Formats: sequence, structure tokens, C-alpha cells
Amino acid sequence: MTTANPNPPTPRPTPTDGFPTATSQTQAETEAILLKHIPQAGADAPVLAKSSHMQFLVRNLVQGFPARYMSQDASQPWLLFWTIQAFSILQVGLDPGNKQRVIDKTMAAQHPDGGFGGGPRQAAHLLPTYAAVCTLAIVGRSGPGGGWDQIDREKMYKFFMSLKQPDGSFLVAHHAEVDVRGIYCLLVTATLLDLLTPELVAGTASFIASCQTYEGGFSSSSQSYYTTDNVLLSTPRPPLGEAHGGYTFCALASWVLLHPFMEVEKDKPTIDARNLLRWLVNMQGTEIELGGFKGRTNKLVDGCYSWWCGGAFSLLEAFGVGGSREHIPSSTSEGEWDDADDSLFNRKALQEYILLAGQHPAGGLRDKPPKNSDAYHTLYCLSGLSAAQHHIFLSSARRDAILDAWVANPAASPDLADDIRKHVFADSLSWTEEEGGSLIVGGKDNRVNATHPVFNLTITHTEGLMSYFYKQTLPPRVKASSNS
Amino acid sequence: MPTLTSSSTSSLGDVLGLYSQRQEWSDVTPLPQYEEANPAAPIFYSEEYKDATDYFRGIVRTGEKSQRVLELTETIIRLNPAHYSAWQYRYETLLAINAPLDVELKLMDELAVSFLKTYQVWHHRRLLLTITRNPAPELAFIAASLKVDAKNYHTWSYRQWLLAFFNDDDLWAGELDFVDAMLAQDVRNNSAWHHRFFVVFQSGLREGETDRGRVIRRELTYVKQNISLVASNPSAWNYLRGILDANHLPYTRVEEFVKPYAASTQDTSTTDLVDLENPPPPRGAELPCAPAIEFLADIFEKEGGKDGVRKASELWRSLADEYDKIRKKYWEYRIREALQTVQE
Repeated sequence: MTTANPNPPTPRPTPTDGFPTATSQTQAETEAILLKHIPQAGADAPVLAKSSHMQFLVRNLVQGFPARYMSQDASQPWLLFWTIQAFSILQVGLDPGNKQRVIDKTMAAQHPDGGFGGGPRQAAHLLPTYAAVCTLAIVGRSGPGGGWDQIDREKMYKFFMSLKQPDGSFLVAHHAEVDVRGIYCLLVTATLLDLLTPELVAGTASFIASCQTYEGGFSSSSQSYYTTDNVLLSTPRPPLGEAHGGYTFCALASWVLLHPFMEVEKDKPTIDARNLLRWLVNMQGTEIELGGFKGRTNKLVDGCYSWWCGGAFSLLEAFGVGGSREHIPSSTSEGEWDDADDSLFNRKALQEYILLAGQHPAGGLRDKPPKNSDAYHTLYCLSGLSAAQHHIFLSSARRDAILDAWVANPAASPDLADDIRKHVFADSLSWTEEEGGSLIVGGKDNRVNATHPVFNLTITHTEGLMSYFYKQTLPPRVKASSNS
Repeated sequence: MPTLTSSSTSSLGDVLGLYSQRQEWSDVTPLPQYEEANPAAPIFYSEEYKDATDYFRGIVRTGEKSQRVLELTETIIRLNPAHYSAWQYRYETLLAINAPLDVELKLMDELAVSFLKTYQVWHHRRLLLTITRNPAPELAFIAASLKVDAKNYHTWSYRQWLLAFFNDDDLWAGELDFVDAMLAQDVRNNSAWHHRFFVVFQSGLREGETDRGRVIRRELTYVKQNISLVASNPSAWNYLRGILDANHLPYTRVEEFVKPYAASTQDTSTTDLVDLENPPPPRGAELPCAPAIEFLADIFEKEGGKDGVRKASELWRSLADEYDKIRKKYWEYRIREALQTVQE
């Protein structure tokens, strides 16, 4: 019953049922602003302003961050990671001089007792540890001054173990809080640097599972109870806080990373993937919200959830939810939309939100108009754009090839731990971009690099770092198509 | 409400001056952050912040734990409440010098409101409470904080931690009334709905809550009445699903209630009758309401068989093509999945 209108009808506002509250009022205000960003019929396709975003990033890297970033003084490795990884997504590499400056600054945040802090002489903390190691994956190298060999892995492992709690969770730093962001950061770091052991992650999967709420998404943490002889009770184990996009991404990515350990976990924890999928799809805003994602039920859309929620769909696919398209013929050319796109969220609409509302006219990306851009939103809008453009899946063919090429450490006995190590390596590196699976709003000039669904590094950077630390040579990639 | 804000904070520095100019700090060697003059991606610090953090690094190096360290860390925290190392060092100092924690908690009453959105203010409070073990006054404090920011994630999780950790019947006693008050202010506040679920279903059984049949009936009535106030409220629909899922109850239990919300027009003939079990959609409701269509489709899918799947698929199709187009891919996925079950 569609007719060809010169202008598409104005999208329907979120229903208020004649009963306004604070939530519906801020929602209506946001919709009024977003409505102005919906282009008229016949308008040019939206453009990703790559060069002005580049200028924004270069200014931050070379000249520095304005005084309002003092609030990020305890997150300096993050400022570097957000900036450097944004370059990678924009398909830009750094010159050797700037690379070295970034390596040196990152290494200055390493704590003498292991792990990285928010800056020099700050306490070690799981979050900047992730940011520092991922930054080094992008700009670092082996050898003197390259960063990779100067990471004190032994002390880092001891630092990790010193944060471990009896319920399988981790403090983010000594005397600090427990939450799933920290667990994600620890698991990514340990995976990249070949530090993952059954001892380190015992009970962690159960903790993650306990953070899933009735809504389907995950909360920050959960509360544990113990018997008088200190045995952890399986119930009650209530989540603390409601389902949230950031925590959900971290929980789900952790779940993926823990997969090789599930067999040795005592209590075989499970998560409700169907309810998680339902919650995730409901985080996508409607047409009047330009298809951006929100982070919680009845909250506003925000560009950063383009990655935390939009990026979570590839992770779900790893459990068979949504189904891999490994066997679907790849006849699609870029810019065309056809039935081969069986992703479960609206990839086109998410790209439109980022392109139409997420870009600040002066460079950098943002939460939503009329806000300013910042380093954090710039990366996570771009990462979300990448997740919406590309289809990355766990390729069983690639995994088999990596497993075949695995060279066991001659010093280690072929025990359980080494077998798990091999699977951690293969699982992490078998994420593959589907050839012909890209759908790019605005045409090929808007293309950005694909990014690893778990680590948020490019596949190349992930391969470089991991093959170094696992002492493996990766087999060459064959194109992932229906014929492979 | 505390009146001190970050603007009055800087006056503290104005009065006392920079640490580098104060006689009583002259024995501390300040430590600049970077050895090299020109690190990548520098932050343009204020003079006051640079001064305080230089002295903080100097203190960390010597390991001094003293009263003046409390002053120094407070200066830093007021300038940058996310400076977790300053918080961590402050906590260790409080313990080391056996500082009065009631004084510290008073300071936190002020800082929590000024810096509501940082993890550290709430976590520091939690560390203090673990030692003082006096949770009762906290509930009123949290309620006051939520007046400023009704959906603050840290504030709500702190309240949940407090209840779960101390697990004292007196603390729990007022929680349902508290949720009622929060939802009366904004029935769309998902944090309040989640809190209700936490209190009723996820944190063990308490006095007066052991008759689960009665509790479930009470909760179903509660959520239905709220849906009949605002039909398109995803928080309330999620709560309804949550009650049924957590107690392994079939969705058909509320089928009669849901149907009028999934209909395109309001059935005005029955609106004069008061049916407490099945309160009708509000008069101003925009029908049909997408969460109700989805709910009904789930009932039909569960019914199973070709007929159930056909009825469910029609509803999903209406969501995909008309009432919830943004999620077209998801509704079509549901159709495909359901069809597979009857084809096998």
C-alpha cells in the first residue's frame, strides 16, 4: 500500500498515551531535535566527513586536549586508545615519530607492580590496562622501545590474581568496585597477551551469567551470598543495577572469551540468549530517533551505543543467534540492499543516525545533537558505524586452518591448559569479514575499516599482537565466500 | 541540600594558595608527571590541578599517610572526582591514621551530590559503610540523591547493594512504598521498575513475602494497573514478562488483559465496567500498542501447531510492516524461526 511520496511522511513520535512524565518530556525534546536532522526527499546521500574527523583527532593527538579533559586525567591510556583506534577505523596509520610518542606515553603508565594506571604513578587499574595494551597492539612493536617486550606480563598476571574475588569477579583496582567492564578489560588483555589460565577465570562465567537481568540485558555487577563455611550460594545472586548497553557488551564479549573454558567450569552456567536478543533489538530507537541505539529501556539514544549495542549482534551470532551467513551466496554489490542481509538490527538506520546526527559539524562525533564531540564518542560512533557496515562472523574454516597450523610450545607438556590456549588463540582470530557482506549507506566513500567484534581492534592489529605473544605463524587468509 | 559546589571549591585553593607556596608542604618534593617535555596528546591542566597532582605523586613516592594527605586528596577529588588513585590513597590513609569515619561520611554527603555521576563517590561510600555498618540513614540519603537524578545508575546500584549486603528486614520494609513513590513521579522510570523486581523476586524471601501465590497476584495487579495508565511503556511490559518468566508462568495467564491493548480501536462498550483483573487501556491510549502485539504473538507461538504459528506470524508481520518497522529484520527472523518448528 505504499505510494511514491515526494517527501517521506514525518515519522511517528513515541506514544505518550496522553500521560506525560519526565521521561516522555525529554524524549519528545530529543525527537524534536532529531527530526531536524532527517533529510528532505531528494537530498544528497549523507557523507562521513572523514577529513574533519581526522583534523579533530590530529589536533587532540598533536596539540593536546582542552582543559575540560582534566576529568579524564585518570584515563590517559583511554584518550590514546580512543584517538588511535579511531585513526585505524578511518583507515589511517601513524607516522613512526608519532607512533613512538604514543608508545612512550603509554609505557609511562605501566605500574611497577604490574598492570597499567590512568597515568604515570597512578594506581594500576583494569580499565587503563585494556586501553594501554590495545593502544600498543596498534602502534607498538617488539624489540627495545617498542612496548611489547616491555609489558611486564608476569607482574600483570599477579596483579590480576590479586583482584580476584571468591565469586569469580574482579575488583577493577585495589579497594575499588567490581563490575563487568573490568572483567571484560581483564579478559581481553589476558587473551591478547597469552595470560589466560583456568585458574584466572575460575567462576568468572558464573558471575557474568548472574548479571543478566529479567529484561535480558546485563547489569554492572551482582551480589553474592555464602554459607557459614564460605561456600558460594547459587541463589540468590541478584544483579545490582538494571540492564545497560555498556555492561551488556562487556558481559557478552566476556562470555565469548570464556567459551574455551566452559567445559572446565564446574556449574555450567547459562545465559538466556533469546531474551538478550529481544532486549538488544529493543534498544534501537525508531525512525524518529533515526535508528540510533539507547543504553537502557526508556532512556535516550546516544551515539556510543552504536557500538555497545550495535556491535553486540556479531557476538550473539557466535552462539548461533541470528545465524551466520557463511553459506549465503555473496552476490551483493556495495550500496545495494538485498535479502542476503539477515542481520537482526537495522544496519541502514544505525548508519543514518551516526551520519546524520552523530557527526559534529566542526569535526569529531557525539552522543546526539546539539552536544559537542569528544574523544570517547568519536571512537564508539565510528566503531558502531563499522559494525553496521560490515558483517564479521566466526569462520569455522578459518578456525580449522589456524588449529592446523598451531605449533605447540616444545617446552610445555600437551596438557589441558595448552589445549585451551590453542583454542583461545584460534577462536580469537577466526573472526572473518564476509566478502560482499558490506552494506554502506552513502556509497563507498563512507566505508570505514572492519573492527574485531570482541576487542575493537582491526583484525590485522589483533593478528599481529597475538601471533607475537603466542609465538605462532598464521596461515594466509583465503577469501571468505560461499565457495571456501 | 549541601550548598558547596565546585565553584566554592576553588576558593579553598584561593585562600590557602598552591601547595608549592605553602610552608607546611615545603618538606615534600613535588613530582612532575612526565619526564619528557612534550608527551603525545597532553591535557591542558589548570595550574591548581597540576600543582596538587605534582604533590600527590610526591606523597605516593614517599608513602606518607597523614592528616594532610586527606586535605591533598580532597583537593584533587574536588577538581577531578574520577581520580581513582587519589580515592584509593585517601581510603588507605583514613584506615592508617584511624580517622573518624563519621566526618568522612559527612564530606561524602556533599561530594556525592556534587559528583553524582562518578563511580568513585559511591564506591568510597560503600567502603565506609562496610566499616561503620550503619546502613539505616543511607536510605533517606539515597532517596534525596535520586531527586536530583532519578535514573542514576550508581545511586540505584548502591541502594541495591546496601539492601542485599546488610540484608536487614528493617531496611527492606519500606522498599515497595519507595518504588511506588518513584513510579508515581515517573511511571516510565526503568530504574525504579528494576528496583521493584530486585526487591520482590531476586533477593531472597522476607517476612510477609513467603506466600508466593499472593505476591505474584499482587505484582500482576500492580503492573497491569500501570499499563492501564500508560499503555506504551516498555518498562512495564518488561516487568510483566519478568514476573511470568521468573515464576515459570505461561503468558496465557494474562491473555485477556493483553488483547484490548493489541486491538486497533478501543472497545468503548465495556469501559464503564470495572474489571480489576483486566484494567482496560487508558482513554488517551494510542492503539494498538506494539508491546501488546508482541506479547500476544508470543502467546500464539507458545500455543504452537500450524494455527498458533500462523496467528503469531500475522502479528509479527503487522509489527514488521506497520507498527514497529525499525525492527522489521527481527520480526521476520521470529517468523522464520517459528515456521521452522512446524515444518519439522
